[in-house]
Amino acid sequence: MAATKEFSSTGGDATVIGPSILISGKLTGDEDLTVRGRVEGELNLSKTLIVETSGIVKANVSVRNAIVSGVVVGNITASESVELTREGRMVGDINSPRVIIVDGASFRGHVDMGNAEPRPQSERPASRPVVRPAAAPTSRPATVPARAAIPIARPAAAKPQPPPMAKVEAASKPENKPAPPPPPPQPVLVGEAGKKKVLVKKKK
Amino acid sequence: MANTIIGSSIVIDGEISGDEDLVIQGTVKGKISLKESLFVEASGVVEADIEVQNVDIAGRVTGNIAATDKVELKADCRVVGDVRAPRILIADGASFKGNVDMDVKER
Repeated sequence: MAATKEFSSTGGDATVIGPSILISGKLTGDEDLTVRGRVEGELNLSKTLIVETSGIVKANVSVRNAIVSGVVVGNITASESVELTREGRMVGDINSPRVIIVDGASFRGHVDMGNAEPRPQSERPASRPVVRPAAAPTSRPATVPARAAIPIARPAAAKPQPPPMAKVEAASKPENKPAPPPPPPQPVLVGEAGKKKVLVKKKK
Repeated sequence: MANTIIGSSIVIDGEISGDEDLVIQGTVKGKISLKESLFVEASGVVEADIEVQNVDIAGRVTGNIAATDKVELKADCRVVGDVRAPRILIADGASFKGNVDMDVKER
C-alpha cells in the first residue's frame, strides 16, 4: 500500500480527484487539478484545471487554464485559456482571453474574450494590440487604394464613354441624324449584357 | 487503482465523499466520508469529521474520527478529537487529545 501510494503520489504530482469521489464545497489551490470524479460548489485555482472524460464539475470555476473533456455546469473564468475538447460538454459562461472549442464539443452559454477592453496584462494583450494596429493600417491602405482605384476606374469607364458618345453625337449630328440612334441602343445592350453577366454570376 | 490526491497547496472547504482511497497532502475542512482508506500525510491538515474504513494519520487532524476497521496515528501526527474504531494504533511520538472508543465492532 505504502509503495503504491508513494509511487502514485510521486507519479502524479498534481492533485487528482478520483472517479468515485464527490467534493461539495469550496476548493482552492495553487497547483494543477485533475478531476475524474465530481466537484460541486466553487473552484479556484492559480493553475490548470483538467476535467477528464469521467469528470463532472458543477461549480463556478476560476482558474488560469481549463481543459474540459468531461462535463462542466457553471461559469468558467480563466486568466489564460479555456479549451473544450471533442469530448467536452459544458453549460455556462466562459470568460477568458483565449477560448478553444474543438469540433465535437458541446457548449451552451456565453463567451466573453474581453476584446473590447485591452487589458494591461503581459503577453496576450501585448500581442493583440500589435495585431490590431497591424491589421488596421493594412486594411486601411488596402481600402484606400481600392477606393482610389475604383473612382479612377469609374470616371475612366464612365467619362470616356460619354465623351466619345458626345463626340460621336456631336460629330454625327452635324453630318447625319441617323447616327445618334445607334449609340443609345449600344449602351442599352451593354447594360443588358452587364445585367446578364451579373445574373449568370449570381446563378453560379 | 484510481487514487485521489489532494495536493499540498489545495484547500477544500466542504464535503468529500467517495468509494476509493484518498490521500490528503493539503487542507480539508468540513467532512470526509469514504468507504476506503484515508491517508493524511505529514503536510496534510484536516479539520473535519471523518468517517472511513481505515485512516492513517501523519499530519494534523482536528475532528472526530470514526473508522469501521482501523485508525493509525503515526509518529509526529497531531490529532485532536474523539476516535472510534475497532482497532486503534498510536505510535510513539504521536500527539493525541480526545476520547478513544474501541467498543464499536460495526458501524
